[in-house]
Amino acid sequence: MPLGTLPGLRSGGPRRKIPPVKIFFVTDLHGSEICWKKFLNAGAFYGADVVILGGDVTGKAMVPIVQRANGTWEASLQDHRDTLESEDAIVEFEKRVMNRGYYPIRVSDQEYVAMQEDEDLVDKRFKEVMLDGTERWIAMAEEKLAGTGIRVIACPANDDMFEIDDLLTGAQVVETGDEEHPITLGDFTMVSMGWTNPTPWHTFREAEEPELATRIDRALEAATDPETTIFNFHAPPYASKLDNAPALNPDLTYVSGGQAIRPVGSTAVHDSIKRFQPLLSLHGHIHESKGSTRIGKTLALNPGSSYEEGILQAAVVNIDEKKRKVKNYQLVNG
Amino acid sequence: MATVGEAPTLFLRKATGLVKGWSKFDAFLYSFMSVNFVTLGLFFAFSVLAFVPTGQILPALLISGVFVSFLVVTYAGLISVMPRAGGDYVWQSRVLGGGIAFVLAITGWWFILWYWAPIYGNILNVEVFQPLAAVFKLDGVSEFLASNNGLFFVCAVTVLLAGYLVSLGMEGYAKIQKFCFYVGMAALAVVFLVMLFGSQSGFQNAFNEEAANLFGASGDVYSQTIEMGTVNNGGPIVPELGFTPFFGPTLLLVPFLCFWILWPNWGATLYGEVRGASDFKRVMSGMMWGLWITVGVALVFVFLADKFFGWEFFNAANLNYWATVYGFGEATMPVWSYPPLLASFYFHNELISALIILAFGAWFLGWAGTLFLSSTRVIFAAAFDRILPEKVADVSERRHVPVWALILMLVPALIVSAFYAYTSTFRTWILDATLVIAVTFLGSAIAAMILPWRKKRLYESSPMARYKVAGIPLITVSGFLTAGFLIFNLYHWFTNDLYAINDPDSLVFMGSMYLLALVVYVVAKVVRKSQGIDLGAIHKEIPVE
Repeated sequence: MPLGTLPGLRSGGPRRKIPPVKIFFVTDLHGSEICWKKFLNAGAFYGADVVILGGDVTGKAMVPIVQRANGTWEASLQDHRDTLESEDAIVEFEKRVMNRGYYPIRVSDQEYVAMQEDEDLVDKRFKEVMLDGTERWIAMAEEKLAGTGIRVIACPANDDMFEIDDLLTGAQVVETGDEEHPITLGDFTMVSMGWTNPTPWHTFREAEEPELATRIDRALEAATDPETTIFNFHAPPYASKLDNAPALNPDLTYVSGGQAIRPVGSTAVHDSIKRFQPLLSLHGHIHESKGSTRIGKTLALNPGSSYEEGILQAAVVNIDEKKRKVKNYQLVNG
Repeated sequence: MATVGEAPTLFLRKATGLVKGWSKFDAFLYSFMSVNFVTLGLFFAFSVLAFVPTGQILPALLISGVFVSFLVVTYAGLISVMPRAGGDYVWQSRVLGGGIAFVLAITGWWFILWYWAPIYGNILNVEVFQPLAAVFKLDGVSEFLASNNGLFFVCAVTVLLAGYLVSLGMEGYAKIQKFCFYVGMAALAVVFLVMLFGSQSGFQNAFNEEAANLFGASGDVYSQTIEMGTVNNGGPIVPELGFTPFFGPTLLLVPFLCFWILWPNWGATLYGEVRGASDFKRVMSGMMWGLWITVGVALVFVFLADKFFGWEFFNAANLNYWATVYGFGEATMPVWSYPPLLASFYFHNELISALIILAFGAWFLGWAGTLFLSSTRVIFAAAFDRILPEKVADVSERRHVPVWALILMLVPALIVSAFYAYTSTFRTWILDATLVIAVTFLGSAIAAMILPWRKKRLYESSPMARYKVAGIPLITVSGFLTAGFLIFNLYHWFTNDLYAINDPDSLVFMGSMYLLALVVYVVAKVVRKSQGIDLGAIHKEIPVE
């Protein structure tokens, strides 16, 4: 049986003999290169046994660097138009773009205009840059963490196209999981689900609540003991204060200037936590809703995300293996 | 259709969180309601002008507006650098350190708002309850409202109302606030029209008649009011209108105006994702419009008050009110000379007066929720940082009400209200509440000043990095000017008897709030350390390479 089909061992690579007890959890990096680099260093920095990216690996925007007819390059970032006159300047600009979680693309004048007019071209290019970006991140992880004993897990979520799953599954050092593939963390089992309840943006992995409930049930087939189970469900539980987002009008503008906040999490996720009572429930999805809460006995966390600013918001969780409980946790801004 | 040569724009895909911003009007509205002209403005700024008899209100208004604009730029800058951080506590903790931030923000946004509860309550009393009781000649009610029990009752109503508004959630409250804005503006427009088209002699007659009708006064009460003001003030009571080449004591009016105009950043708006400098401008312009429309409304009010009430009468009536409050003189009216109430006398109709007062109550209702909303956020943030127990960030399962955070606000606020109602010394102590929030703002202004160096990477990756003045980061320049302005006000509040908040006991009392916050932080640090949690690690940056 190939390694990838064993529960908890979707990818190969070295495994620690000593079970992990300290988890460093982040979510929604959305292509921010600086956050990914910090993430890879976080295990050593916090003394964590495993670093987990809960979901939403890939970026949301491409920044075209357009070559004009006269040979100069032009680009805009944060509403500021730059003329880039040397290769060094372009590379520097590309770094800035990647640090914010966007993908720089070099295009000619004509390509740029064509992309403006043809959504398919944009989609195609997005697919390319997202896959390239994910591959590059995997390579960085291999280089940084291979042989260190620190496990690195990255799971796809609603904003990630399905094509990145194969890249993550095929990685050597980076592990991944989903409803069908739980991950073993020592004596614990982490079940993951990147799907969310519907959003106004109709992203890749969305489903109505009943379907989410079915997916969760499927994921829980691998989990027998709540005390040794960790949920990594991208969608936060409904009305848990981990899911407060600004209400939006149909045209995707903020209601009441962003002052109107409403819960947008998943009822299926909430019900599953309430029913199953896992040791720990890790969430993301709603970047502005950093927080912690208890649902029954379960500690649920959403570290939030400030990926564009290059701040790595995270949850550091110490688990007492003997007592099978969360010893302590902290939400940090690394 | 795109054309060759145009500025390249980014390509976005469908992804969570990509919103299209918000309307400038909404951003304006929340700022406008925070620098609330009717509640804080009329009661705490325009009613005390006579204490600086030769101060000129017009330049004082403009000077305050200009310097508060720097505060707006500073806060818009902080929002654009750390968009979702959510306020002073998080900004300061990232730049100045967790301990300083906790002490400043918890004192300024939590403890001190217990003491704002009676301030809010007092405004509800003098702007809604007492005028209504006066209009309907409910003497027993008026007596009760003026008593200690009445004051406690009104404070309790305010605390419970603010708690209820918070329990509605932000979405519900935002709707109420918008409704209040329209009702309040309509009421203001009516009163302004009365003041614009009504004559001063007409007002004098109306005032004399209604003073006799409602308060049993006799004779030319209008002139008596001015004479009484002169006596109470020990000299002429007329603050000058207009400009002179030398401001004279005009700057002394600024700390009075700051009781009201210093808060356009109170409900700082959210900042979107995958956006840039345009959002900095949008955030800034929302607050800036809120500030300057308010200044504009205030300027119009000054001219209309001069024209309709007579500037001398307006200030004398206000001075007489404060003379009765502080016991150094008498007044012709048993209630505060609330301008909408005075203007409504023009109609000689109790019902119309009551309707105007109730409609003006919208200014209070749209503002009352702000009492606890910010506190709830700060309490949550401190709990998420593990400084406070996680329990305090709990929300009720059924209605999602932040129960513990509300208890931590409501119970102390009610206790404080009782002290306020039943002990006169306590009333002086709590006037420092404004001072404490200004100290918190000072902390953020200093954080903004040094941010480009203390958090270089964060600053350089933000749209703010583009804005410079003579090569110096704009956020540093605006932070510096804001800090200077706040220090100017703090200096006067601390040292000048004029503002009635430099009572040594008051300073010790407010200092004890900082001490309390420090004790909470130190205890939290020790307790968390014993649990294996290092509070100092919250903002430690992970190396990139």
